[in-house]
Amino acid sequence: MPLWFVRGLRRGVVTTRYPARPDGSAAALPTPPAFRPGQLTRDVADRIVAVCPSAALARRGDILIFDAGTCTACGRCAAAAPDAVTSSGEWELAATARSALVKEIPIAGGQP
Amino acid sequence: MNPASDEAQASRRLQEQIADQFGRSLHIRTLDTGSCAVCEQEIRLLSAPHYDLNRLGFFFTPAPRHADLLLVTGPMVRAFDAAARKTFEAMPGPKVVVATGACALGGVYPKDPFVHGNVGEVLPVDVWIPGCPPSPLALLHGLSVAVGRLAERTPGLTFIAGGDG
Amino acid sequence: MNPLDILYGAAGAWLAAAVAGLLAGSWRPGLRACCVLSGLGGAAAAAAGGWSLVYGNTRVVMPGGGATIVGGPVQLQMTSLAGVFVAVLGIAAVAIALYAPRYHQRSRGTALYLAVYNLALLACLAVLAAGGMVTFLVAWESMSLACYLLILRHPRRTEVARGAFWFLALSEIGFLLVVAAFVILAAKTGATQLDVMAARGHLVPGGWRAAAYLLALTGFGFKAGLVPLHVWLPEAHPVAPADGSAFLSGVVVNLGAYGIALFAFRLVPVTGSWPGLVTLGAGAITAAIGILYALRERDIKRFLAFSTIENTGIIVTAFGAAMVFQAYRQPALGAFLLIAGLYHVANNGCYKTLLFLEAGVVEHATGTRDMDRLGGLVHRLPRSTVIAFIGTLGIAALPPLNGFVSEWLIFQGLFQGFRTGSNLIAILIVLAAATLGLTGGLAIYAFVRGFGIPNLGMPRTQRAAEARETGQPVAGPALLAVACAALAVGAPVMLAALSRAAHTITGVALGPLLLPGKLTVIPAHADFSAFSPTYLAVFLTAACAVPLLIFLAGRPRAASVSVPVWDGGITRFRPRMQYSAMTFSAPTRVTFDALYRPAVSVRRASDEDPAGRSGPVHYEEQVTPVFERYLYRPVVRGVEWLADAIRPMQSGDVNLYLLYVFAMILLAYLLGAV
Repeated sequence: MPLWFVRGLRRGVVTTRYPARPDGSAAALPTPPAFRPGQLTRDVADRIVAVCPSAALARRGDILIFDAGTCTACGRCAAAAPDAVTSSGEWELAATARSALVKEIPIAGGQP
Repeated sequence: MNPASDEAQASRRLQEQIADQFGRSLHIRTLDTGSCAVCEQEIRLLSAPHYDLNRLGFFFTPAPRHADLLLVTGPMVRAFDAAARKTFEAMPGPKVVVATGACALGGVYPKDPFVHGNVGEVLPVDVWIPGCPPSPLALLHGLSVAVGRLAERTPGLTFIAGGDG
Repeated sequence: MNPLDILYGAAGAWLAAAVAGLLAGSWRPGLRACCVLSGLGGAAAAAAGGWSLVYGNTRVVMPGGGATIVGGPVQLQMTSLAGVFVAVLGIAAVAIALYAPRYHQRSRGTALYLAVYNLALLACLAVLAAGGMVTFLVAWESMSLACYLLILRHPRRTEVARGAFWFLALSEIGFLLVVAAFVILAAKTGATQLDVMAARGHLVPGGWRAAAYLLALTGFGFKAGLVPLHVWLPEAHPVAPADGSAFLSGVVVNLGAYGIALFAFRLVPVTGSWPGLVTLGAGAITAAIGILYALRERDIKRFLAFSTIENTGIIVTAFGAAMVFQAYRQPALGAFLLIAGLYHVANNGCYKTLLFLEAGVVEHATGTRDMDRLGGLVHRLPRSTVIAFIGTLGIAALPPLNGFVSEWLIFQGLFQGFRTGSNLIAILIVLAAATLGLTGGLAIYAFVRGFGIPNLGMPRTQRAAEARETGQPVAGPALLAVACAALAVGAPVMLAALSRAAHTITGVALGPLLLPGKLTVIPAHADFSAFSPTYLAVFLTAACAVPLLIFLAGRPRAASVSVPVWDGGITRFRPRMQYSAMTFSAPTRVTFDALYRPAVSVRRASDEDPAGRSGPVHYEEQVTPVFERYLYRPVVRGVEWLADAIRPMQSGDVNLYLLYVFAMILLAYLLGAV
């Protein structure tokens, strides 16, 4: 018990200051993907739609519909299409409307 | 208590009311509707010294009668419908419902004879917190949004790289 | 005109009732007449008992101009000490008379049972009104035999025969000890009339006094139910009919206490403090062990039987403490504790009888006495449950009912142990008070269980769900409930009468037991504490009205929504989700396992299955009958060994027997010559 006390004093306050100040550990969090419309083709889009385990991606014509609410940040879409998909770094994702979490990304890549 | 997208003004007024009433002290009741319990572990971490939700005036309570906010995880297993409804009805108004975790938002488990898939089918959800699991920081962000301390950022996000995230 | 004359009326009524019972057979008007006469006798006895509290002792009467029984004179006297007991006998008799017609089936067996019951009432009356040793002993033995026959209502059932046998065996042992005690006193004082014995008590040397008192304490302790002499109570009560059990607990057990009081306060003058300390210790231990065993019982009647043992313990503790205070020159406190003990006797008579009668109603309506097979009876038997609740409040000593008043008096008397001036005695008295405190707490716990499990919640079996109230006796128990309330609210009246009685018994004028205003009680010394049962009852009722008024006045203006009670979100309640009787008492059972020494056997289906699949678990727990095994069985085996050793004398050879005759004659001649 005294050892624990002394160690704690040495380490100092570890409580995060969030939300008053940003938290450094947030950089290591897994986050939903961000897409590069220029690299997205219909084929790439179909490939990443098929690989998503959580049905967060769907293609409607030339629009890639991404549901950030359903995404589990597993990284499979980034592994399947590393040029088109990267990590967004966004983790402050709370929304008051469910529809605000569903985003449309244009498929603007060239013909395969 | 359920601000639909067209009633933005009413929801803003409600948010102000909520911020006013829950500003300093919010009592949270967690509800597991069939989750894998990892979301629960993250929620439990909120009480740990690193995140310490008590410093923000948030407290956990087991009694719905004493609760202001219902934090729901899990894909809303159909067998749990009645209990979830009872818990919600046992909370005195004003009350806020927060659904958290990919399961509760409709992911991972599609609708089938045993599972609703989406908490919104049974309870009127006010704030949705995605994540699998949502980190304690994301939970803190979501709870602060729920009480009106922080503004939500999601409407402004595009998830387009090279743009605004 | 004195109380004894009224008692003749009661005796006559009961004798007539017994005759009516014998003649009635299964003829309904005959049975009704028997019960009516029994009730009238009870009313007369109650009146006589109450009157004799204030009248004092009547003269000794020898009816029939010196009639004799068993070679000794029949002497009757009505004393103040017996007054409370006679009053309790009377009220219990009235209640049982109202109860019996609806409880028993109309048959010849019932008629005979009622006849014997009325003879038992008569015998109890004779014990209480006995003025001489022989009358007392004859009446005592008749009472034991009559009660034995009462328990034996259904003699063909083995458990009935066993329970009745325990009662008879222990009664007889007690009787022998009581005879020995009386013989010592009679021999040393040279008198058999109780009055004269008491007046000449100082002639008895100190050692003999102690011996006589101890023999009396043990002998009457068998009847009263002092531990370890209590073993017959849990065996006999469940097998007797409900009104028989009520009679046994409410009246007969009290007679044991009367015997102890008779020796302690009338016949054996005070010699040192240790008889009082022994009584105090015996009472305290009895109370604690009684209630501890009560917590293990699922059978309602066995539970109530152990609770009777607890109440006997409390009464005997009060008497013991009174003796100690008398020995230490605190006559006021001694008289006060005597009053407290007598008050508790009256209370016990009322609520214990009530609870046994209600147990009978429950058994009648559902066919079972097992708490774990009942539940939710408040919905099926509302009137009976409410009446039982009043009895439960009384016995758990909760204000404002009568149990609380008498226990408060006893505690206040015990707390003044420091006035004896001896530190050791004060510590011992405080220990006894602490034991009674433990008992009181456990009693509340036990009766929450004893009332809550069968009556509240959901029915656990079909039989409990189908119980019907129609045809159940209500008037008898209701009368006792009214008596309980009356004893509580009318505490000032009761205490005034009891202090007159204490003055007659101990010769101590207690001074103002009731403060000016006549409604506040002080425990013999005004500088210690004070309490008003009447004001308390009024205050509690008024206090209950305050939340109601607040609610009515301050009803919320905003629209309010009615939602169901929060129940944890359970969608369907099942009876098995409730407490059972054994799980409710599990904390105490675990704590006191050293006393209970349970023998536990657990069989798991998963242990026996080769694949280890789970299945039913069979759990069996049995209390070790400590007293039977370690006290009675060795004694029985010793007697059997002795009998075996003597057997060779009975060889069957006529010549040997003639030799015995010759030896005896020779011995007689030699003794005559000397």
